[in-house]
Amino acid sequence: MKVLVAVKRVVDYNVKVRVAADHSGVDLTNVKMAMNPFCEIAVEEAVRLKEKGVATEIVAVAVGPKEAQEQIRTALALGADRGILVEAADVQPLGVAKLLKAIVDEEKPELVILGKQAIDGDNNQTGQMLAALTGMGQGTFASEVNVADGSVKVTREIDGGLQTVDLKLPAVVTTDLRLNEPRYASLPNIMKAKKKPLDMKSPGDFGVDVTPLVKTVKVEPPAERQAGIKVADVAELVDKLKNEAKVI
Amino acid sequence: MTDTNQIIAGLSQLVDAGRVLTDADSLQHYGCDWTKKYDPAPLAIVLPKTVEQVQAIVRFANEHQVALVPSGGRTGLSAAAVAANGEVVVAFDLMNKINDFNPIDRTVQCQAGVVTEQLQQFAEENNLYYPVDFASAGSSQLGGNISTNAGGIKVIRYGMTREWVKGLKVVTGKGDLLDLNGGLDKNATGYDFRHLFIGAEGTLGLIVEATMKLARAPQNLTVLVLGVPEFRAIMKVLETFQSRIDLTAFEFFSDIAVKLVTEHQDVPRPFAAAAPYYALLEFESPTEDVLEQAMALFEQCVEEGWVLDGVISQSESQAANLWRLREGISETIAPFTPYKNDVSVVVSKVPDFLEEIDNIVSSRYPDFEIVWFGHIGDGNLHLNILKPAALSKEEFFRRCEEVNTQVFATVQKYAGSVSAEHGVGMTKKPYLEYTRSAADIDYMRAVKAAFDPMNIMNPGKIFDL
Repeated sequence: MKVLVAVKRVVDYNVKVRVAADHSGVDLTNVKMAMNPFCEIAVEEAVRLKEKGVATEIVAVAVGPKEAQEQIRTALALGADRGILVEAADVQPLGVAKLLKAIVDEEKPELVILGKQAIDGDNNQTGQMLAALTGMGQGTFASEVNVADGSVKVTREIDGGLQTVDLKLPAVVTTDLRLNEPRYASLPNIMKAKKKPLDMKSPGDFGVDVTPLVKTVKVEPPAERQAGIKVADVAELVDKLKNEAKVI
Repeated sequence: MTDTNQIIAGLSQLVDAGRVLTDADSLQHYGCDWTKKYDPAPLAIVLPKTVEQVQAIVRFANEHQVALVPSGGRTGLSAAAVAANGEVVVAFDLMNKINDFNPIDRTVQCQAGVVTEQLQQFAEENNLYYPVDFASAGSSQLGGNISTNAGGIKVIRYGMTREWVKGLKVVTGKGDLLDLNGGLDKNATGYDFRHLFIGAEGTLGLIVEATMKLARAPQNLTVLVLGVPEFRAIMKVLETFQSRIDLTAFEFFSDIAVKLVTEHQDVPRPFAAAAPYYALLEFESPTEDVLEQAMALFEQCVEEGWVLDGVISQSESQAANLWRLREGISETIAPFTPYKNDVSVVVSKVPDFLEEIDNIVSSRYPDFEIVWFGHIGDGNLHLNILKPAALSKEEFFRRCEEVNTQVFATVQKYAGSVSAEHGVGMTKKPYLEYTRSAADIDYMRAVKAAFDPMNIMNPGKIFDL
């Protein structure tokens, strides 16, 4: 079974971002970039499927700038077999989904695993859009994935409990945080990954128009937290909660 | 000696209203550090807000023969900030302002009570870096860091606190205010008293203000954790990497440490197969070239048989998680009531020294389990012995006292230090002579007499008069 995994290059989870002076977005100069944490989980799941003998080949795909090669190399070091980078900047979820559909048409994977969302845009759209465009079934927010007999059972974390959906392959799965704990890339595997194939493509190669359809008007940081005050006694506290904060 | 009430009344005249504390909770809280060996018994806690108030307190103490114990974040591990004999504790909590920042000099003027993390954050906000970092940075104060010449995890690249002190304002044991070096880079005008106050553990006077230097912020810190087959290979790895890359950290720990940390905390093993020892390396990688270089060095170490396996951080969160393997050790072994020692020898002698200590402990105390870890890049080893479950705490510590003498005799043989970065205080005072000669200690006494003739400044710490 061939598995396609999507990986996105995003601002490192640990970086405290600052809004750019012109409010067009966040300032990315000299900021550490890394693989989106949910994509790490997607790669890990694909690698585990391969280790179990379920998957036979893993193809890691990224849509992003040239530097996104680093994230594909990471996926290759973790266990993916080859990579495809569609070089294009600032592609929005619909554009990414269209590109992925074109790759799905070529590669014909039985399973596509994506992170449920990327931590930069927090859109949570690409997996669902890809499922709609390809007509494949979708199991989103997966906390458990079991492939057997031409179908995949996906346990999903929903409000108040767990839901399990059974999807006929080929299918789209998006990963939630508790699906697995990604491993570290070992140094010997990083070196081996350098020899694995990585295809460079452009949106034009697939005839996909990735012109943005959504315009960002303004990006602003959250309001700064006001300093707290000390109250003299319980009576004053109750008074303030009642009359100032109006919460009781 | 004037009676207690008179002293408290007298002190109350010197500071703001309500800034002399005598309630039991405060005496307990301000009277001790992280060592739990001594029962705190201070007479009072006084919280000055200005340099003038500090001077007034010291003059008052001279007049009334009251001993003073300076108090910062009280995170020390040698009981240097413990008041167990009716001393007055001078706490710097209210003197916590960052007064002045000069981006051209890259210096920042801080009051003594500024918390280490506060300075680290201030530096970060200004795109600079305060590189002295250790586990207690969230509570420790600058005055205490300087008084103990605090080290930590980045010493291999950035040195101890001493390297970052450009100027000090101190109130001597006589109550004089001295402005030492004033932030100058070059100043060849005789004795530099600044360096006497650094590491003096408050025995010469009180630090009230410090001019600290800041560094350029490091770019893209990358962490490597390597599995190493035997201890001697760790030194080969250090030598190999250091010949090509400026390391910002080089730590080591044994597999017992990794086993305990991964079992007790939510931290994954770096790689599946266990190795007897691990080395953690950190370095800046502003360009791909550095990473390529690191890969080549790794390959070389594997070919030589010095390294079994290794991982590299691909993101800051992975780097942080790999650090937790090392930083989680102290917390994880705490429930085993470990016997702890913090010793150092010159880096090249580390393997022989470690082997000798290992032999002493394993031959004479076969039931003891040793957990080694430390900042090996600067010759600093933390020796931890876990208490066997069958042994009572008293019996364990009694036997550890015997181990102490043997460990320190070995330190002396290797011309090492009985306290690499934890200071002397009271806990290491009996062993000072294993590192410092009698003549050496006599000169320390003479220096103290010059700055603190009435012996009111933290008496009974480091050495006895």
